[in-house]
Amino acid sequence: MADLSRAERAPRPAAPSGTAAPMDRAARNARAAAAHQKARRVGPVFWISLAWLALVTLAAVFADVLGLAAPDQSDWMALKAPPGTGGHLLGTDPLGRDVLSRVIHGARVSLTVGITAPVIGVGLGLILGLAAGYYRGWIDEVIGIVIDSWLAIPGLVILLLFSVLYGGSLFMVCLSLGLLFIPSAARITRAATLSCTGREYVLAARALGASDFRIITREVFPNIIWPLLAFVMIDIPIAIVVEGSLSFLGLSVQAPTPSWGGMISEGREYLEAAPHISLIPTAVMFLTVLSFNLAGDAMRRRVSGGRGGAI
Amino acid sequence: MTLQTPVLEVQDLRTAFVTARGMLQAVDGVSFRLERGQILAIVGESGSGKSVLSRSILGLLPRGAETSATAQVLLNGQDLTRLPERQLRRLRGRRASMIFQDPMTSLNPTLSIGAQIVEVLVFHMGLAKAAARARAAELLRSVGLPEPGLQLDRYPHQLSGGMRQRVAIAIALACEPDLLIADEPTTALDVTVQAEILDLLRREVRERQMSMILITHDMGIVAGHADEVAVMYAGRIVERAPVRPLFAQTRMPYTRALLDSIPQLSAPAHGRLEAIGGRPPDLVEPPPGCSFEPRCRFATARCRADAPPLQGDGVHSFACWHPLR
Repeated sequence: MADLSRAERAPRPAAPSGTAAPMDRAARNARAAAAHQKARRVGPVFWISLAWLALVTLAAVFADVLGLAAPDQSDWMALKAPPGTGGHLLGTDPLGRDVLSRVIHGARVSLTVGITAPVIGVGLGLILGLAAGYYRGWIDEVIGIVIDSWLAIPGLVILLLFSVLYGGSLFMVCLSLGLLFIPSAARITRAATLSCTGREYVLAARALGASDFRIITREVFPNIIWPLLAFVMIDIPIAIVVEGSLSFLGLSVQAPTPSWGGMISEGREYLEAAPHISLIPTAVMFLTVLSFNLAGDAMRRRVSGGRGGAI
Repeated sequence: MTLQTPVLEVQDLRTAFVTARGMLQAVDGVSFRLERGQILAIVGESGSGKSVLSRSILGLLPRGAETSATAQVLLNGQDLTRLPERQLRRLRGRRASMIFQDPMTSLNPTLSIGAQIVEVLVFHMGLAKAAARARAAELLRSVGLPEPGLQLDRYPHQLSGGMRQRVAIAIALACEPDLLIADEPTTALDVTVQAEILDLLRREVRERQMSMILITHDMGIVAGHADEVAVMYAGRIVERAPVRPLFAQTRMPYTRALLDSIPQLSAPAHGRLEAIGGRPPDLVEPPPGCSFEPRCRFATARCRADAPPLQGDGVHSFACWHPLR
């Protein structure tokens, strides 16, 4: 045993510096790798946000099989009941309807609008922006004028117009809100397309005989989709807040369909006596919007390699 | 002399850009022939029109650039300037393809190497996916990529600059084109990789009996890798000859100046490097005479008044009133 360890030590008599250096370097590399990992990691805030979003989404999807009271069923024995009383976990509203059930059913409206509207807006904006940025020339000019004119109409007017004409239809709420996202999406797409079309791989594709359609779908589109997805992530919470405001004003889906904005509105006369009626949907909306923003930020940082600020 | 049709014949090619100040004549009446199996180097400094010339040949000009109606670009006897875009697309990448300067940006970052080669083979050669993939691996092997089967599923960012340029070459060679245009293929690469890439290009051209236009600003590359040289200045060819006579007996002062500006190892240490004074002429309002006249040591009144035509004995031609002896 003693022999062996001596034999081991024997070949490197000048060891002190020789052994210390590699160990130092290994330790330094490990530290650097750990720091790098940490910068890349999304952190607990992301996971908490995601968990909340998953909870809200799952509850909304499975609302009918959760064994909740129907959202429009009144419990006349318990009007404005505070949370935790009379078998109502989050209490009841002025008509005795279960707040938990209504918040969950309201999530359906908020999430549907929150996701559909940005998808419609970014989808249409993408087509316009790609056409303008790729073909340039008169196409670019016409699309530019259309978008500038569209921006010159106040968004609220468009929303009011749609609600007067097609009041209460969920799809029309999504569509009218989606239309408002078109100009910014089109501009972002156009800018990204311009910088992408100037790249050498687009010229290389042309030199290989690719058609315009092929270049747009295979070369340009995959290279501009990330900033656009980040843009969708920013638009989702905006759409949820705007839908909430419309509901509050009674311009979104009509009663008795529950929506968060509508619930806040219904409870505003009882803020002193039964504050939970307004505050619970407000808190749920706040947490949902905050979670979308935090999760979106974390995703953008991750996509841009831990440096932040992708767009 | 055989009467074989040349792979490429360019007649009086003129390309101009519309600018705020007027028409910028980037290529001004260029004509040349390129025989099968030959490598023609086009040399010139930045802005001499060499890249625009190469793009004009394949009709890949940027917006605002136009080739004159009288120009002819005959690829295997077929005039590309008269072809509709749809037919031109079937030729690009198939009969003539191009390699670009910067392999960092000339490959699509979102597609795997394999997908980019397979796409060309499926589009032009009508191969089935599986056959195209096998052929792609073969191509990667032939351009010297180790483990070609594995490389197919990798993305451009996973490869070094030299490897990417090899991939770009594999894509360009995929359909066995007759003409390969290499636009400064090694400018963005390390010096050690440059030689490998140029050797690879020359070997492929020889083996496949293709023709190549090698665009460069480096006279050293010309000496080692081309058969013929065309020197461009201000949108015109000012001297054209096979490599040996050009280096042995330079006639045009501009070519001489280019050669003199190469640093020589044999030159005394701390000596002054010969540079060409002045700048290339304004191509919107070019001088009436020889375009090199303002920078030329030998210029006379005649050079200022008349532009010399490109003339010679069929082997060595030059555009100069006072050629060097």
